[in-house]
Amino acid sequence: MKKALLQGRGLTKVFTQGQVKNKVLDQIDVDIFDKDFTIIMGSSGAGKSTLLYVLSQMDAVTEGTVSYQGKELTGLKEKQMAKLRAEEFGFVFQQTHLVSNLTLLENVAVAGFVSRKGSTSQIQSRAQTLLTQMGVEKAENRLPSQVSGGEAQRAAIARAMVGNPGILFADEPTGALNRSHTREVLDLLTALNQSGQSILMVTHDLRAALRGNRILYLEDGKILDELELPAYQAAQDRQREEKISQWLSGLQW
Amino acid sequence: MENRILFRAGIRKHKGSLLGIAILLFLVSLSLSTVLTVYLRGSSYIHQEMQRTGFGNLTAWVADVPDMDFLTDSIEAQEGIERTEVQNLLFCDYEANGVESDSEGQLIPWSSGDKTYHFFRDNFSGYREAPKEIAAGTVYVSPSMVSIMNLQIGDSISFPVARGGQNVSLTVAGYYEDPFMGSSMIGMKGFLISEGDYTAILRAIAETGMDSLARNGAMIHIFTEAGSNASIADISRLLNENTPISQYTEFIHSADAIEGFMGILQKAFCGLLAAFALILLIVAMVVLGHSISGVIEQEYKNLGILKTVGMTGSGLIRLQLAQYLIAMLVGMLSGILAAFPASRMAAKMTVTTTGLLLPGDLPVLPCLAAFTAILLLLMGFTVLKLRNIISVTPMKAIRGETTEIRWKPGKKLRMKIEGLSFRLALRQLLSGKKRYASACLIAAMLVFFASLAGRMNTWLGPEGKGMMDAFNPADLDIGVQALGELDSGEMEDMVRSYTDIIDSYLLAMPSVSVNGTNYTANVITDPERFHISQGRTSRSADEVVLTETAASDLGVSIGDNVTIRGDVGNGEFKVSGIYHCANDMGANIGMNREGYLAIGQDKPQLWCHHYFLADPSQRAAVTEGLTESYGGDVHVHENSWPGLFGIISAMHGLLAFMYGMIAVFVLIVTILTGSKILTAEKKDLGIYKSMGCSTRMLRITFSLRFGMAAAIGAVGGTLLAAALTDPFVSAVMRLGGISNFASRPAPSNIVLPGLIVILLFLGCSYLAAGRIKKADMTVLTAD
Repeated sequence: MKKALLQGRGLTKVFTQGQVKNKVLDQIDVDIFDKDFTIIMGSSGAGKSTLLYVLSQMDAVTEGTVSYQGKELTGLKEKQMAKLRAEEFGFVFQQTHLVSNLTLLENVAVAGFVSRKGSTSQIQSRAQTLLTQMGVEKAENRLPSQVSGGEAQRAAIARAMVGNPGILFADEPTGALNRSHTREVLDLLTALNQSGQSILMVTHDLRAALRGNRILYLEDGKILDELELPAYQAAQDRQREEKISQWLSGLQW
Repeated sequence: MENRILFRAGIRKHKGSLLGIAILLFLVSLSLSTVLTVYLRGSSYIHQEMQRTGFGNLTAWVADVPDMDFLTDSIEAQEGIERTEVQNLLFCDYEANGVESDSEGQLIPWSSGDKTYHFFRDNFSGYREAPKEIAAGTVYVSPSMVSIMNLQIGDSISFPVARGGQNVSLTVAGYYEDPFMGSSMIGMKGFLISEGDYTAILRAIAETGMDSLARNGAMIHIFTEAGSNASIADISRLLNENTPISQYTEFIHSADAIEGFMGILQKAFCGLLAAFALILLIVAMVVLGHSISGVIEQEYKNLGILKTVGMTGSGLIRLQLAQYLIAMLVGMLSGILAAFPASRMAAKMTVTTTGLLLPGDLPVLPCLAAFTAILLLLMGFTVLKLRNIISVTPMKAIRGETTEIRWKPGKKLRMKIEGLSFRLALRQLLSGKKRYASACLIAAMLVFFASLAGRMNTWLGPEGKGMMDAFNPADLDIGVQALGELDSGEMEDMVRSYTDIIDSYLLAMPSVSVNGTNYTANVITDPERFHISQGRTSRSADEVVLTETAASDLGVSIGDNVTIRGDVGNGEFKVSGIYHCANDMGANIGMNREGYLAIGQDKPQLWCHHYFLADPSQRAAVTEGLTESYGGDVHVHENSWPGLFGIISAMHGLLAFMYGMIAVFVLIVTILTGSKILTAEKKDLGIYKSMGCSTRMLRITFSLRFGMAAAIGAVGGTLLAAALTDPFVSAVMRLGGISNFASRPAPSNIVLPGLIVILLFLGCSYLAAGRIKKADMTVLTAD
């Protein structure tokens, strides 16, 4: 029996612009399980990123509730939410959103300092270890503008991991990368998941979706279907891709 | 058509920063218009009123003249003199509300139908009809008596007319405008009394003879012939040499000198306010420059897109200029409009200090000229800053090549968990120096001015010691002058019964002429006590010291000889040094006792005994004791002057106004620059929030950046004030005859201005950063 890490109940999100209301999420009930690599897929405008941000409470829901480890998040004060983000959540975005005036190492370390899980030297050392794991240790003293997109994104993953988060949220993390950098990043995420890290990732890329063990498909603000897969193994890429493609074509993707 | 659409869209989008600029220029325009109104209208009003009320080119205050007709005939017989007019008066000391005058009052008879003076409404809001007559037992006084002695309508003023307690008490019936001596800067004061009271006091003087304390006198207004080339100094010399006027003269002043006395306060404060308005204008230009850079950065992509549809760089500059021009015009015109009530309010508020209700009508032409110049300057500056638009190429803009990180990574300023907010703020400040340069520059200028004003305030001191030292030829705790037959030993015993006298000297202030021009001589028994700034004091009997003003007017310097005439003869004296004494706007000389006695008559009443007390806090008790025991036979004064409190409160008012303006400016500046920075850093804020940084931490980091930029500016401003205050303020003060200005460091002028400006920047930027709370992390999303 899997343990639900994150639970959404009756999640509705309506964007209002003037008189026009646009319902992007419509009464969604969803559980994200511990140690899973959950993928959210769907066509453009289906509400994939919105669901991720609502579940991570980076954006507020119009209706419904979100709980993390059984504790309701909706209604938490800004300070409590900031503490939760610092200690339990890690984020990776499509664009390499690193602070432009901090080096790669500082980008990672500052996130660790905010989480306050250790002393300056402990966090510094963990940040260096993570950058080494991500293969960007040689660029650690460079500014984001001085490294490639792949290096920056790997540093962004290191930053997301520095506070030992309970769950890692990734929004199209390979969307802005070329083929080789995409593979590097996906391999890293897979390795993290295999070491026990829970990941919730939004993607529209089939190759990225292969890495997940559970895929949720969104259409018009509702979860249309979901697919359970065994843990990822590189050798089974082909069979896995066929299975997912078949499932997706059944959903008219 | 497209220009109209883009213009409206621009106004809509940047309404916040345009409004901010309009507000800043409103404040600049308001201050400057008010200064121009008070300065120009004030000067011309004093001149016009002096002419209307019959003040001559030269006026001599004379006393005990046996034959006035003979004197005026002899004056009129001189070449270049057209006519004279005599205005009778009585010289008499006075006391009211427990404050004793330190100069004699002038009781001027006023009769029905006399159009000379204007009378104020009781609340100083304007003028009222002149009374049909001044009732016996009542008196009209200058409004400056409110600030000097807190004289209100219904209060009594006591005039000791003769020894033996023969006092005349008059009740204040109202206030009148005195363009000759109404200002609180002038010690001599006029009192309008009824013809009946005047005659009665004259009779009392005659009856009491030697025991009379009041003296019969007059103002002789001397009018020179139109087209006469003779200077006032020449006329004065002519009169001293060819008429007996010097035997009766108490003091003699030219119209220019009186105008100078009457306008000194307005001019000094207008000068300070004008300098402050100039600083505000520069600050407004810095903010304008920052706003333009921000708008270009924000609109970079749009500018590129507009170029792709065929708009030219110069066309886009015109479009932006038009938007800023609207803000400038709105701000400046509304400032001019607001200056109407502001000038009237300032005029009303300063009546009790200036003694005049200065006209609040704007001087239209000078105002228009000033504002056209400022507008042209601002437009030129705007075009200069907007010229960067020309270099925007469509592709460069669409790629978003606007921001550049100027910080170079190194081993310095490492990030640590301790003081993380401060370290992040410092990094952001160093990597975005240009963005904070305006805050730094503005802080430097505001602190410079506040520190300069603080240094002036420190010099002035809480009890006006700086100003008194400027006016007093030598220091003292208390001065006691026996007027009748009172023995000085008895007087000293009385003082010693309160506290010991640790030192003393004598000072007399007779009138003399130097090279034919009238001056007040400060005659002292201990010449080492003079405040000497150059050379040495007048130790020998044939030496004299001059003020800077006197030396400059006489065209002499140390080592030169001058001829000094007293009431018994004249002699040659060598100028041994320059000393400070701003009395009569610096028209003073300093001699030792032996030197004066060679040309002037000695009498015990001439000398004022200046004492230094073992316990100076006993001054008030000594004054009270002497006055109670000897009444009109003794005149006691301290190192103070009632009019000083008006100046001190005006200085404090100016400081309060200045700090208020600084607070408003800092608030607007931080809101304007802060909002631009926050817009540019929207993404970074999202990233920090996603890391778990709280809004409070981000706001603190944001305000720390401004605090640090302001701190750098504050250090610069404080140093600048330390270097420039003395030469700058001394030059201005010398115009008023004050040559002893020397600022000294004090917490109130070194720490306080910088600290206040830093705290204002910290607080205002923390407030401006309130929108961080609303900063949405969805800015980081892929959709």
